[in-house]
Amino acid sequence: MSDGFEASDFIAGFTAEAEEHLASANTNLLSVEEAVAKGQATPRQVRELFRSFHTIKGLAAMVGVEPIVDIAHAMESVLREADRAAGRLPAGAVSLLLAGVKAVENRVQALAKRKTVAAAPAKLVDALNALRQTGDERAAASVETTMPAELWGKMNAAERGQLTQGLVDGRRALIVHFVPTPVRASEGITITSVRERIATLAEIVKVVPVSTATTDASPGGLAFALVLLTEGADAELATAAATTPEALTAVSLLAPSSDSSGSSGSSNLEALDEETSDDDLHHRGVVRVEVARLDEALERLSALVVTQFRLRRTMAEMRAAGADVRALAQVISENGRQLRDLRASIMRARMVSVTELLERIPLIVRGLSRTTGKDARLSMTTGNAELDKAVAERIFPAIVHLVRNAVDHALETPAERRAAGKPETGLVTVACHELSDSQLELTVTDDGRGVDAVAVARRAGAPVPTTDDGLLALLTRPGLSTKTEVTTTSGRGVGMDVVKRIAVDELRGELSMTTTKGRGTMFSLRIPLSITIVDAFSFLCGGETFVVPVAMVEEIQEIDLAKTVRGPDRRKAPRGEPDRRRAARATDMIHRRGETVPVLRLEEILGLGVGDDLHRKAIIVRRNGEPFAFTVDRMLGQQEVVVRPLEDQLVRVHGVSGTTDLGDGRPTLVLDLAALGGRLVADGTGEPS
Amino acid sequence: MPEALIVDDSKVMREMEIACLRGIEGVSFTQAASGLEALERLSLRPFDFVVLDLNMPDISGYEVIEFIRGQDKLRTLPILVVTTRGDESSRARALAAGATRFMTKPFSPDALLGEVKSLTNGRPGIQT
Amino acid sequence: MSELHVLCKIADVEYVLPAADVLQMESFTAATKVPGAAEQVAGLVQIRGRVVPVLDMRVVFGLERIAATIDSRVIVMKRGERTVGLLVDSAREVLKIPAADFQPPPPVVVQQTDGLVKAVAQAGNRLLMLIDFTKVIGEEREHAE
Repeated sequence: MSDGFEASDFIAGFTAEAEEHLASANTNLLSVEEAVAKGQATPRQVRELFRSFHTIKGLAAMVGVEPIVDIAHAMESVLREADRAAGRLPAGAVSLLLAGVKAVENRVQALAKRKTVAAAPAKLVDALNALRQTGDERAAASVETTMPAELWGKMNAAERGQLTQGLVDGRRALIVHFVPTPVRASEGITITSVRERIATLAEIVKVVPVSTATTDASPGGLAFALVLLTEGADAELATAAATTPEALTAVSLLAPSSDSSGSSGSSNLEALDEETSDDDLHHRGVVRVEVARLDEALERLSALVVTQFRLRRTMAEMRAAGADVRALAQVISENGRQLRDLRASIMRARMVSVTELLERIPLIVRGLSRTTGKDARLSMTTGNAELDKAVAERIFPAIVHLVRNAVDHALETPAERRAAGKPETGLVTVACHELSDSQLELTVTDDGRGVDAVAVARRAGAPVPTTDDGLLALLTRPGLSTKTEVTTTSGRGVGMDVVKRIAVDELRGELSMTTTKGRGTMFSLRIPLSITIVDAFSFLCGGETFVVPVAMVEEIQEIDLAKTVRGPDRRKAPRGEPDRRRAARATDMIHRRGETVPVLRLEEILGLGVGDDLHRKAIIVRRNGEPFAFTVDRMLGQQEVVVRPLEDQLVRVHGVSGTTDLGDGRPTLVLDLAALGGRLVADGTGEPS
Repeated sequence: MPEALIVDDSKVMREMEIACLRGIEGVSFTQAASGLEALERLSLRPFDFVVLDLNMPDISGYEVIEFIRGQDKLRTLPILVVTTRGDESSRARALAAGATRFMTKPFSPDALLGEVKSLTNGRPGIQT
Repeated sequence: MSELHVLCKIADVEYVLPAADVLQMESFTAATKVPGAAEQVAGLVQIRGRVVPVLDMRVVFGLERIAATIDSRVIVMKRGERTVGLLVDSAREVLKIPAADFQPPPPVVVQQTDGLVKAVAQAGNRLLMLIDFTKVIGEEREHAE
């Protein structure tokens, strides 16, 4: 019996894959819309759209969600037809397809939240089914090329069109052969990796498998012929395919270009040229990576780190046995540095640019503009900042909510705006810039009617606030909903209270607002960049590894605990409730540059047992001008780490600002030693309250 | 130790198929996300059977089957084709191209396991 | 929607959790302790790139901790905004239990488990107890979505 399969196990995976496909579908549809307005065909996007919905349909069928299957099926049919017509969509298709994407999105979300999934919207499905190609399809210009017959025969209309179009536009076409071998596979050179590398240098029209004789060079009897359009250098392309430049074959036209469809044909050809080279620029230098692959890379790295530890241990044993390990120590040290650099690179690969984060906003504004009947224009300034994917995921719904509010509530109707002497088109601006090297600011601004303090106060049952801060405090009260908030567009998803919670509690940032009645409103989210990447010292304490931000550390000092000065005995009986942290037995103090610094045993504070070594390293931090020295077992090193805040209330404890991954795959706590010190003093007992 | 090659561009789909087939004693799975990757793997190592999606990017399942059947050493490799509903017209085409068995999605886990068992009946080394 | 439930054992007693809330199940070796967290928080683990707090269900039910074994499992559950792992002694089966089969728990069970069992069901000659996940993670009221 097959007892390994339960559909519900795969819902999360289905949701994730579906959402990726839907996101790319939206992007593709927006670019198709632009192209259609210029009278161009978009074979690549249509092909991708078709594939996306075909996949969604199949997966939905497996997890048993019929409504999604129905919508996807209708969309897939439209897209299949368009694909066969070399990427031309019939009139009115784009809006319907966008509506279809939205309908699927809603149902995927309902599924993810275990709510009932609404049946497929009959009118939409009917409208999609009614779409048919009207007469204006043009066959790809019939030109002859020097493509070998066996390859040409395997290319479909869209691919042939793409190749001939490229040649007609004067681009270079090449055939590159890649031969997979066991040796190459073991080095990670596979058809997939070769395609990825080549995709950064060229536009891949098609990859065709070709039978070859079985030889030593080609033991599998298989080669892949990659048909490319490129401006890249032969040498680079050849290297990417693990071959030599001599093995590349150029493809050219056999006859002058001809287009049988009349005068508008040539402008279409030029337009196609623009489209393909834009895509080319867009793809160059960028590879989409699944976060899971980065995590996998980090796991491999952690294995390397473990090996490093073992090397160091072995070296220590050798040293203890009297061997001269100085040269070896240098190499191991260098290796350690390289591992740290590698880890930093992988961590950086998890970073999401703000541009990428905000790429859906234009689509959202477009949709809102239609559904609310407001005329809204979006202006975005994204800058160059980057965020860790986890932070980006959290901040995105907050920004979307603010944008939705702006279009739905803040902007007046065109008639109202005209009466008020404003331009009919309302302006929503989303901007991001780095305030300092430690803070990022995201703003959402509108030139609408401003927040009505009186109305909000009435809803909240509170006195009318006199400042913007006071008004914001009311707006972000949990459960507050002005009548206008529960409209179909803003929905009940994220409210202002959740925006505040995300920005302030989860991301340790700030939310502020300025508003002027009749003129507009600006919301500003400030996120400390230090939350994303910080320079940190890692150390051992009580046998466990921790990190502390370098910015917090004043000094790291050697302390001889035998030589400290005893302070008053602050030992107290533990209180009724069990508590992990025990009071220091006595407060030791040291003199340092004319100051008296309390010495606190971190291992005891963290409940990790008592250290006995008298010669210890101590990390000195300062809080409100007061210094503290925390003893640790051993300093391990210094590196840049990505700090993830601890969100769940079960683990939000004082003195821990988040977790990071030092490459071993386990969460390592990031300690806020300044806060720990401050709390211990304020309490006056050495026991945390 | 039966070696299975699972080919589908959807990761979730591959995971589902693997979950269905874990019951085969001693089976080990290799995954391929595209027809090209599948052909590459097949050229480098022997497999006992292939589960293949028909509609994938770059190269269709039909082309993959035709290519496989064109290789001497792969002529008798059992190929189980899996495809979405509404494509029954593809059945003839797939079988003509050389597929051994044909299934449509959605399939029940037992159905998939059953098809694989019948594919591999009588083949040495496969205990099901 | 789904009647599937994950069956787990905590100190030889069988409990069930709705499979629809289960994100994944992982074996357990160790968790990063969080100083100052409540007694039942075993610590933090990293699963598929996500940092998840883990509750030791033995401690939740007032029992002694034990060392992790090869059968120990962390059942990662998600409800609304919260993702929390539950550490159990073992988790091997998935059962279909129709909603109608669940009965309110007898008073003695409510008392012994501090209200953490919200329903019971009979499956053959086994008595299965449905854990109230929201209560276990300390969220008495579910927030409106």
